[in-house]
Amino acid sequence: MKKKISIFVAFLMMLVGWSQEQEAINIPLDTCVHVLLHKDASRLKEVAGYLVAKDDVTTYPLLSAVVDKRLFSYKGTAVTKFAGDTLYYSVYPKIQVISIQKEKLSEVKLPRSIRTKFNVLAKKVNLVHPNKNVREMSFRSFKTTGVLSDVNFLTSLKINEKEEQVLLAANEAIYSIWLKSNNVALQNKALDDLETEVNVHMLESLTDYVSNTTNSQGKERAAIIIEDIESREKIINVIQNLFSGISLGSILLLVALGLSIIYGLGGVINMSHGEFVMIGAYTAFSVQQFFIGFLPESWFDWFFWVSLPISFVVSGLFGLLVEKLVIRFLYSRPLESLLGTWGVSLILIQLARTIFGDVTAVKSPEILSGGINVTEGLMLPYNRLFIIGLTIVMVLLTYFVFFKSKLGLKIRAVTQNRDMSASLGVSVKRIDSLTFFLGSGLAGVAGCAMTLIGNVVPNMGQTYIVDSFLVVVVGGVGKLIGTIISAMGIGVLSKVFEFFYEAVYGKVILLLIIFFFLQYKPKGLFPDKGRHSDD
Amino acid sequence: MLEVKDLKVSFGGLTALNLDTFSIRKNELRVIIGPNGAGKSTFMDIVCGKTKPQQGSVKFKGLELLGRKEVEIAKLGVGRKFQKPSIFSGLTVYDNLLLGLDGPKDVFTSYFYKLASYDKDRIMEVAEKVGLVNDLTMIAGSLSHGKKQWLEIAIVMLQDSELMLIDEPAAGMSDVEAEKTGNLLCDLSKKHSVIVIEHDMKFVEQIAIEKVSVLVRGQLLTEGTFQEVRNNQEVIDCYLGSANSAQQKAHS
Amino acid sequence: MFALVFPIGYFTGLIPINTLTLWGRYFCLAIAALGVDLIWGYTGILSMTQALFFCMGAYGMGMYMTLSNLPEGQLLPSFMVWNQVEELPFFWVPFDNFSYALVLSVLVPGVFAGIMGYFIFRKRIKGVYFAIITQAIALAMFLLFSRNETMLGGTNGLTDFKYFLGFDLRDNSVKFGLYAWSLIALGLVYWYCHNLVNSKFGKSLVAIRDSESRMRFTKYKVTHYNVAIFVIGAMVAAVGGMLYMPQTGIITPGRMDVQASIEMIIWVALGGRGKLKGAVIGALVLNLMYSVFTTVLPSSWLYILGGLFVITVLYLPKGIVGMVDQMKEKLNGMFVKTA
Repeated sequence: MKKKISIFVAFLMMLVGWSQEQEAINIPLDTCVHVLLHKDASRLKEVAGYLVAKDDVTTYPLLSAVVDKRLFSYKGTAVTKFAGDTLYYSVYPKIQVISIQKEKLSEVKLPRSIRTKFNVLAKKVNLVHPNKNVREMSFRSFKTTGVLSDVNFLTSLKINEKEEQVLLAANEAIYSIWLKSNNVALQNKALDDLETEVNVHMLESLTDYVSNTTNSQGKERAAIIIEDIESREKIINVIQNLFSGISLGSILLLVALGLSIIYGLGGVINMSHGEFVMIGAYTAFSVQQFFIGFLPESWFDWFFWVSLPISFVVSGLFGLLVEKLVIRFLYSRPLESLLGTWGVSLILIQLARTIFGDVTAVKSPEILSGGINVTEGLMLPYNRLFIIGLTIVMVLLTYFVFFKSKLGLKIRAVTQNRDMSASLGVSVKRIDSLTFFLGSGLAGVAGCAMTLIGNVVPNMGQTYIVDSFLVVVVGGVGKLIGTIISAMGIGVLSKVFEFFYEAVYGKVILLLIIFFFLQYKPKGLFPDKGRHSDD
Repeated sequence: MLEVKDLKVSFGGLTALNLDTFSIRKNELRVIIGPNGAGKSTFMDIVCGKTKPQQGSVKFKGLELLGRKEVEIAKLGVGRKFQKPSIFSGLTVYDNLLLGLDGPKDVFTSYFYKLASYDKDRIMEVAEKVGLVNDLTMIAGSLSHGKKQWLEIAIVMLQDSELMLIDEPAAGMSDVEAEKTGNLLCDLSKKHSVIVIEHDMKFVEQIAIEKVSVLVRGQLLTEGTFQEVRNNQEVIDCYLGSANSAQQKAHS
Repeated sequence: MFALVFPIGYFTGLIPINTLTLWGRYFCLAIAALGVDLIWGYTGILSMTQALFFCMGAYGMGMYMTLSNLPEGQLLPSFMVWNQVEELPFFWVPFDNFSYALVLSVLVPGVFAGIMGYFIFRKRIKGVYFAIITQAIALAMFLLFSRNETMLGGTNGLTDFKYFLGFDLRDNSVKFGLYAWSLIALGLVYWYCHNLVNSKFGKSLVAIRDSESRMRFTKYKVTHYNVAIFVIGAMVAAVGGMLYMPQTGIITPGRMDVQASIEMIIWVALGGRGKLKGAVIGALVLNLMYSVFTTVLPSSWLYILGGLFVITVLYLPKGIVGMVDQMKEKLNGMFVKTA
């Protein structure tokens, strides 16, 4: 009875906000927010102590803002902004994006003594961070530091979590804590679950468990799980390597296509072909700079899509120029053309160095960052997927231009027999120029695509040119299907060897294999059939 | 001397040659005629090892030639003159002949080679026969087309091959030059077997002292003396028939 | 001129010793150029491994110098000590002896070229295909030489020498001696090549360039000839590299990459391919230009070199020597007319 009365009184007092002593027991969270935002010196300490003691999940966003010194006041509400983000979030009662007028925003600088009071919670507060990666990290940190008593709130947070990767991390944390505990029932529970869901991140906890536990049955089970994880890891590695091999092969293919077409057409070895790749990349860079300099920020992500066709055209035009100035005189003189175009390549590289300096980078558009998570541990990055897709599109286009269009017919005619084509009224010169434009354009597109996965440097073309020539040689000159197969083969093999051996030895082994392959098939995979006239 | 059986070659599905049987004797001069694309040059390519047939057998002095490399075949005694003169255009005529001269041709002998007087005599003798004595110091590439043909014939002669395959020797020659070439070939056939491919009927008439073979669409149409062949209705059809039937079609 | 004017200039103090050393190096490169001319100019084989053979010669000499320059009591080169190597690798052992080193520096590239050449030529891989495959081999060798595991000093190469055969390399008279030796070697190699190209063997090479198939039908085993000249060219390049080593005091894998080989080819192309004089002149002229332009206008060199490639290929198919010959002929023609 007495108790009831006192509660009632307390309630009344609370309503009028009269008794400080009662409030110390239970301060409304709205009030706490108010105190923090206004830096109410008389009550700060008390509120801080209260919030730490209460350890309420709903206050975590607010507290993390305080700890990280990114708390703002906006029209009486608590607001925060995360590093590297342009958006503002309200932090209480719920964390959500809000739109604000910047002039009404003011930063709340709390004294150090208050901020440090929250440090005991620091580990937990990021569990509700709006960024899923941060959440995932903080969950994962419990794997080593967590204790059995943490499991309760980890579980409660898990229930509201929607992101799969974070959920996975939460589970890992719980399992690890269980495995570390002395409770055999909990250990078994963890092992039960781990047997069904293979998770590479549990490898360490499991290994620890195996070496520390006295439970021989559990030890055996854990060992089997570890084996599973490791064998799965191997498969994932193989897939990952195959994938990066295919994407490398795609780039080689884009570069080699142009080379092969040009060599087939005019018997010209174009050593400066790699430099058209470089020109394509620098075009993408220039378009990016233009977008940054002259267009609204929100348009920025469009720059890459705009630069793709521009790269094609710019590289194509450079190709045309080189054809008109140098290569035109060297048709059917492959060795001379090799030397001449090597000179062109030196000039172009030095030109790029003079204009752009040594290293520049192109930022990938937002949409191409990240990737598809096929399963845990196996991610196929969008940028590489895009390159593969782009290559497929370009190869199909090339196929149609060559085998289904009138222009292609003429190009093939000139490839077969220049003089005969000329006498049949095909304008050989025009076909040469057009083919060169197309071939160099393809290299330009390759260069533009390469900005997604690497820096732009003046001699970037050189890195790919030797491999691309090998692709052409292995595939058989002027054979589309041969070029595709050999590009993919060389791409995949070089990645696989790189995985098994070191990069350098992988490369050497690959070169040796190609060397012996050519012993066996000197004219490539798909040699030209028919009566050859040598000499 | 040379026996050919069931020879078949096709390029990408197109049958270029399908020869059931063909043979020549020692010291015979055989002329092969036939329209363009009849497989005449392909036949020579096979005999000298440049082209590999799908099936068949080519025996030379009882030895199978198929499967052997060019050098081996040449060493067995088959010499070849190509349709388009194939000479060493950067060397002098004399050096061309020197390289053609029969003898050991491995690296070491060439490396330590010293010109012997009888070698020189032999070169001069052949040069005289083909009428290149005054051009010995010329760069071969700058010779006229006819002289290039002679130079190539001379290289084949110096090799002293038992079987000589001569592809269109009179092309690009004046009548006088062609007649001289004809005499040369007839002369050669006294000591060698010679197969000549030719288009020019006047020239064929001159050198067809023995049999003429007619190849059409890869097949042997007929064989016989020049007179027999010339009067053969099938041969006439083949040479003129296509034009005739085209005309007839145009009329109808 | 190099045998008289330079030494006199040096002894009278008009020409500094460093100029002589520089020219001494050019002579070594000219020797390598002669090898290129034999292979490419005469036989028509475009090989991208000439710089590799040059470097193999230089490395051989470098290995000898490394071992003979070891400080008292040290058994292994420093870079091996850093890589925790305990024993001298077997292929280093013979290079402790100067005469062995001399022979091996030429023999190893020769044998390497022989094996490589045999496998490529056997399959009648030539022209552009040959260029691309040798390019790949040069790249592979470059990568291997750059590794620490191959025990050749990695990317730093072999360097830091003070003595050569007991002579102090900083001594001017030693420098002059090396200059003289380079000049003599160039003369000897030139004389050897001259005899070679005028022999029946040399003519066979030109014949192969002009018509490989005619050679085959004329009973020549072209493969053997190709391999032979490839080996000779490699050994000539190695001789150049061997002499180059003591004069520069450093050899790194960077000298054997594809670019280095292509540059050697352009020396010959600019000088005049298929002419021994052309190879020597081209090598001297271009290296002199390199030295001048990289000191005066460093960023312009690649433009100039690139431009020379293009101009040579387009307008000077016979190189400087060919151009001079033509001009002579024209002059002669004019005299004849006026007379």
